[in-house]
Amino acid sequence: MNIIVCVKNVPFTQEVDLALDGSKRDIRKEMLAYVINEWDNYAIEEAIRLKEQFNGNVTAVTLGKEADEEVLRRCLAMGADQAVRIEPGALQADAFMTAAILATALKTMPHDLVLTGVQTDDLNHGMVGTLIAERLGLAHAAVVNSLKPADNKARITIELEGGQDEVAMIHLPALLTIQTGINEPRYVSIMGIRKAAKKELKVIKVEELGVSADDLVPRTIIEEMYLPPETEGAEMLQGDAAAVADEIIRIIKEKGVSL
Amino acid sequence: METLHPAAIKYLGIPGFVFGWFLLIIGVGLFLFIIWQRLKILLKGQTDPRFKDWGQRIWSLVVYGLGQYKQPRYYWAGVLHNMIFGGFIVLSLRSLDLIFSSLGLPVLKPLMESMFGDFYLSMKDIFELIVLAACIWAILRRAILKPKRYEGSHQFEAYLVLGLIGFLMLTDMFYEGSLMLLNPPNTLWLPASRLTAGILSPASPEFLKGLYPLSYWLHLLTFFFFLNFLPLGKHFHIITALPNVLFRKLRKGAIKPARWGVTDITELDKLGAGQIEDFTWKHLLDLFSCTECGRCSDMCPAHTVGRPLSPKMITIKLRDQAYRQYPLLPGKKADNPKEESPEIIGELIKPDEIWSCTTCGACEEECPVMIEYIDKMIDMRRHMIETGQAPKTFNQVLTYFEKTGNPFGKPAVKRADWIKEFPEVPVKVLKEGDRTDVLFFVDSYGSYDPRVQDIVMAIAKGLLQAKIDFGILGPEEWDSGHQVRRLGEEGLFQVLVEQNMAALEAVQFKRIVTTDPHAFNTLKKDYPKPFEVQHYSQFFGELVHKGFLKLQNSVSTADRYTYHDPCYLGRHNEVYQEPRDLLRAIPGLQLVEMERARDRSFCCGGGDVILWHEIEQEEMRMAEKRIQMAREAGANVIVTACPFCLIHFEDAIKTAGLEGQMRVTDLMELLVTVL
Repeated sequence: MNIIVCVKNVPFTQEVDLALDGSKRDIRKEMLAYVINEWDNYAIEEAIRLKEQFNGNVTAVTLGKEADEEVLRRCLAMGADQAVRIEPGALQADAFMTAAILATALKTMPHDLVLTGVQTDDLNHGMVGTLIAERLGLAHAAVVNSLKPADNKARITIELEGGQDEVAMIHLPALLTIQTGINEPRYVSIMGIRKAAKKELKVIKVEELGVSADDLVPRTIIEEMYLPPETEGAEMLQGDAAAVADEIIRIIKEKGVSL
Repeated sequence: METLHPAAIKYLGIPGFVFGWFLLIIGVGLFLFIIWQRLKILLKGQTDPRFKDWGQRIWSLVVYGLGQYKQPRYYWAGVLHNMIFGGFIVLSLRSLDLIFSSLGLPVLKPLMESMFGDFYLSMKDIFELIVLAACIWAILRRAILKPKRYEGSHQFEAYLVLGLIGFLMLTDMFYEGSLMLLNPPNTLWLPASRLTAGILSPASPEFLKGLYPLSYWLHLLTFFFFLNFLPLGKHFHIITALPNVLFRKLRKGAIKPARWGVTDITELDKLGAGQIEDFTWKHLLDLFSCTECGRCSDMCPAHTVGRPLSPKMITIKLRDQAYRQYPLLPGKKADNPKEESPEIIGELIKPDEIWSCTTCGACEEECPVMIEYIDKMIDMRRHMIETGQAPKTFNQVLTYFEKTGNPFGKPAVKRADWIKEFPEVPVKVLKEGDRTDVLFFVDSYGSYDPRVQDIVMAIAKGLLQAKIDFGILGPEEWDSGHQVRRLGEEGLFQVLVEQNMAALEAVQFKRIVTTDPHAFNTLKKDYPKPFEVQHYSQFFGELVHKGFLKLQNSVSTADRYTYHDPCYLGRHNEVYQEPRDLLRAIPGLQLVEMERARDRSFCCGGGDVILWHEIEQEEMRMAEKRIQMAREAGANVIVTACPFCLIHFEDAIKTAGLEGQMRVTDLMELLVTVL
């Protein structure tokens, strides 16, 4: 089974006081650490598990700069067989362009299954996976939290609203966007990542792919970014532990959570 | 007529010395074969450079080997052991004499007939009685007292060997006793032989003439049987304990590199220990040397609170595995290389045995033959990390360490934010090229954990009060890596070290002072440059001692204080006295000692694994056990000098429902209240 996983290196923003850059259209990223997008981590883990179970070949693909190769090395350390980085040059790709570029690259690569994360931590569009599938004419499903291939099909579970799941069969080849929790991603040690640096990593420039000029025009334009205004709304609960607990339950119920 | 020596007597026409030679050749030949088979196991081990610092090594051999210094830590068992050990040393010459004479080559006879011989033979007799008494005592002790620490040890072997040793004594005593009756008069002072002679006095000369060579040959036969029996089980220690002590680890607290002699770990095809052959030769020698006395497990805090770890069983299980893999008589080769050298983690050693260890070092401190556990544990952890077998809860923490330099995943830029909380105390954040006297290494918990920040602030206040020129690295400081290395993530540890080395080398300072004994230990023992590093208790100890700081306010005399030695300050670095001196210098402070203090301190639960992985099998928290101990000592305040001890004890006081009765404070927090 040939599996391709699209991954992205994203800023690690936990507890960071984000600041806007001069253009006010982006945040300042130079001080931020980068990590594999959380959903992609589950996607690559799922691909490696399938490979371990059914044999096959896993390729990790990213659209990113040289510094983003780290995310590919991580995938290689986890067990991916090949890694491809598409160099965007000066392009600022939105979700539409990203999907167009990735889909073009994927056309030339054999695949029975394409996995992406549901969304990325940074921009949260949640579109790229589905857009790739549309462009490649692949059967697709989004927010998949269970995946069991059988012959040329796969039994999948799709997460719906309100804790409901939908079980479906999908024909392969297919594209699935993977939800967190589908598995428990393995730890990749620093030594593993450093060793993976010795594995081959293919770099393709966007212009070498032959993406049409029309597809390299962004469909979304960020006009302005701003930090959310500080609002009132914190409520300090008073009293002993039992009273505080009662109060918390009341608030949770009030917000519509069924306990 | 002089009685013939047993070697000169003819048995069925064959002179005795032929049997002597026969016994020697078979006995020694077999022994050498067995030793060679065992040695081959050591040769399969990894390299381990233990062939320098000979002065220190020989001194260890004198103190811990010949002096048996650690034995009396368990008093009566130690006394018993040293009675037998002393006997073996004294009687070795006697054995040589008996063996030589059995060959018809009585080369030691002139010595034995000299003045020294007269003295020696008396000594020999005394020690035979001592050893015999010790064997009987030891057998009774095992049978009646049934010490708990022997659970899981090879009991039958213990009885058998005690019986054999006793039998060796008795045969020599009857040999000499019957000779005494056959060849009177003997003017030497030989209490053991006189005793047997007394018993034998009613016997006929014919009986004595038979008993005399019989006990002689039985003695020699038993001797050679014993010699060959030793390397088969736990009594191999009689041979390997002295070399094991000679080659002991000399740097307590340091962790061995992934592979000795390899600096770039990516060159290694595997990291850590997943199979027997992955241990170093010295760690395999440890396995041979274990006497199964169980002192390690008896002192192990994890074992004490019912966690699934017994250091003794780790050694026994690994030894059994090594012997199964390398049997004395090679069986047929396994078809599958995996069966030839199976994975040791999983079935044999359970993951939670490995994660139960807090690396507190109580086992190593106690072991009379200096067996090492911590390095083995870390090597097994390294293997688990590299093969994805570590608890999943580590994934996020390790990623945080890697990406943000701290286990909380908090931004590095906020590392010095704690100084804003205390605007009244100015703290200098060092920039590249800056110079300071004291570099205060705060480390992650000190920088980000609100409770530990209190200690950090107390240290800063103390430094300011003493007018010390000091600074912190702020965002340039990354986690010291103590925890990371002890979790087994060697590559990540190296990343943290590289980062910190760059930061430390960019500024100038005279010494480093740390909040935490763990950072203190790792900066001192695991870093590539020999910085002058002090824990704050040492630094403030000096200041108070030299009079730069005065402890003037008194504390309530109604409180009883006890000091808990943090493992990485006490056992691993032998800083026992400075914190106690500081406490004693506080006016009015009433200090009591717990039974388990100093090098027998009982770990609080530790500063690494416990923070991120729950060991389910546990009767109580180690910290709760420790609080109990403090109460038993009559204390109501526990003073410690490590942030992790503080955190664990505070929790334990709450979970044990002892709020209001017991409290815990950090030494530095206490000091600033009396300045």
